[in-house]
Amino acid sequence: MSNSLEMSEAIDLIRRSTEGLASRRDLARVRALRYKHAGFDQAAWSSMCELGWPALRLAEGRGGVGLSIAAYCALAEEMGAALVPEPLIPAALVAALLEGGPLESHLAGDTLVLPAWQDEPDAAAPSDREFLRDGRLHGAKRFIPMARSADAFLVIAPDGNWLVAADAPGVTLSYDETQDGGHYGTLLLDGVEGEGIIGNAGAALAEACLATSAYLLGVMDAVLERTAEFLKTRIQFGKPLASFQALQHRMVDLQLEFELTRASISDAAARWDREGPTDASLAGVSRAKARAAEAAALIARSSIQLHGGIGYTDEHDIGLYLRKVMVTAPQYGSARLHRQRFAALMPLQSED
Amino acid sequence: MLYADFHLDDFNALSDADFRALANRFLHQHHPPELRSPAKRLHWDEVKPWYMILSAAGWLAPAWPREHGGMGLSAAKQLIYMDVFERFGAARSPDHGIVLLGPLLITYGSPDQRARFLPRIITGEEIWCQGYSEPNAGSDLASLRTEAVLDGEHWVVNGQKIWTTLAGDANWMFALVRTDKTAKQQQGISFLLIPMDTPGVTVRPIINLDLQDEFSEVFFDDVRVPQENLVGEVNQGWTMAKNLLGFERIFLGSPRMAANALARLIRLGAHAGLTDDPLFVDRLTRFRLDLADHECLFETIADRLRRGQTLGPEVSYLKLNQTQLFQRITEYMLEIAGAQGGLLHPIDGDRALNPMGQFLVSRAATIYGGASEVQRNILAKTILG
Repeated sequence: MSNSLEMSEAIDLIRRSTEGLASRRDLARVRALRYKHAGFDQAAWSSMCELGWPALRLAEGRGGVGLSIAAYCALAEEMGAALVPEPLIPAALVAALLEGGPLESHLAGDTLVLPAWQDEPDAAAPSDREFLRDGRLHGAKRFIPMARSADAFLVIAPDGNWLVAADAPGVTLSYDETQDGGHYGTLLLDGVEGEGIIGNAGAALAEACLATSAYLLGVMDAVLERTAEFLKTRIQFGKPLASFQALQHRMVDLQLEFELTRASISDAAARWDREGPTDASLAGVSRAKARAAEAAALIARSSIQLHGGIGYTDEHDIGLYLRKVMVTAPQYGSARLHRQRFAALMPLQSED
Repeated sequence: MLYADFHLDDFNALSDADFRALANRFLHQHHPPELRSPAKRLHWDEVKPWYMILSAAGWLAPAWPREHGGMGLSAAKQLIYMDVFERFGAARSPDHGIVLLGPLLITYGSPDQRARFLPRIITGEEIWCQGYSEPNAGSDLASLRTEAVLDGEHWVVNGQKIWTTLAGDANWMFALVRTDKTAKQQQGISFLLIPMDTPGVTVRPIINLDLQDEFSEVFFDDVRVPQENLVGEVNQGWTMAKNLLGFERIFLGSPRMAANALARLIRLGAHAGLTDDPLFVDRLTRFRLDLADHECLFETIADRLRRGQTLGPEVSYLKLNQTQLFQRITEYMLEIAGAQGGLLHPIDGDRALNPMGQFLVSRAATIYGGASEVQRNILAKTILG
């Protein structure tokens, strides 16, 4: 990359810009938002929009910032380390496909459009179910994070994409609470009129998938940091837990998983920035997501064990990370699904 | 001249791609086919022809400066050299003199020592083995007890070394010996060059789990070594040896062993009729992803070398991960080989279908070069202080 210095400066800038809105030290805000109606804070979301976060990947001509996916991953990582509940990744996915007035309003944070692409519980792309019949939309989209706050949905299906207002006739919404304090919406469409949106969502979904991996990387980073601090300060048998070799070795094995995930994501992001969506770069995204989902789950549940009894209380923050991983790890496809994708994209003979 | 095409004034002036192509061409034109991808570490009489080709071509010592007969490669080019040689399956020459002793002499040796020893490594006249480990100083190397006492103009060496790779092939050993029993462990150790044909040196080969005589015990009984064979200052041996354990540590984390094992697993899977078995495919895919992620981590750390940074303890993650992956792959080989996984010789006489050998050889990987548990101790300090 010719402008790698510029890039690393941009990434530093992004990391610094998150300090006010995404504190990895103080989770009081995050805790207070759990299991409430919206699940996130509209004022915080407006500030994030002002900073241009959902527009990070958009070309400057479309009102965006035009940064690399590596920069987007750096932002997502910071969000994960702070367990930020605001719907950055879904909003950025939508921004990649919207145009004109709806895009402007979405980027400004005035209206929130959320992507409605998922049909099955474990998916990285829409199923082959079609939605258009007699000029109207029919069917159900599920697992839409933070759907209660959406003004509109971008329905993504194999036979097209449509913008659908949340209060349009024929729309029914229902909600399921999630472990992390947010919720999923189910969007039922019964003869709904939608505004057609041109564009292929495949690349945008892959970017959301990689950003989700980076978000999980941030979660892991914060978990490891907090767990190391706990082991260094908690005294048992007259000495810090950190002095016990059994615990030291567990921490090293967890840190190794973190290092592998970070390397895998960096490589996938660099390849995506170089070549855009290709079989190899999509396989890289799947590789990174498979690693991130499994590593985050391992690190989060191990951190509960390493905290002992206090780790099993809701009062202690370490549990917030575990719940976040339970919700985020399967988003945009589980580890199992992405291993399958990798194998399909990279058949054995093409390896060498 | 036979190797004129491969003799360059400045290899570093080539682009990475050109150097890679040159190294590949060199191997394809000059590597003895019968020595390619050997099943075991070759002895000197077997590998000597290849060593002499490397020597004659000037390709023996990639890291050494040009004035000492090396290739003078930059860090980036050394990584390419290693990668190309490993991928090709080039036979490993007895390289302790090249990889470990040479750089140490170049940094700490006297002008006389450099002039005396370096050229003979390049010509293959002198083959070196490494005398570090002892029966009671393995992971805890600093507790080594083989001692050297000055008597007139000679150091008199008594003690025992063990796990000395290819000791029987070597005519010289560089050894860590205790020269001050009163000092703190690491501070009483010196670096001594010992001719293996000195009276009192006895080599006894040890048969390893793979039934090979790759390493030996070496006994020293009043072995008299000229005083000038001590390198650097007396009692500074530990510091010197440790300072030079930098760059090479990345080699222990190279993805190549696991990659070769994976290629063999794929062949074994085909042999066992499992190529389309969904359970086999799932396991294989996991291994492929583990290897791909390891390669990403390796590149991250190799990048630091390319940028001229020195390696910190984080290089231990590579060794830890690579050796575990290598072992897990070979364990799965045994599982799918069924009863054939208990055979003493390769299946159907095919050297590539030798899960038993791979499994046994992989046992050593988590022990040598710092056992996995020691690597974890080192890494834990970076996390937990």
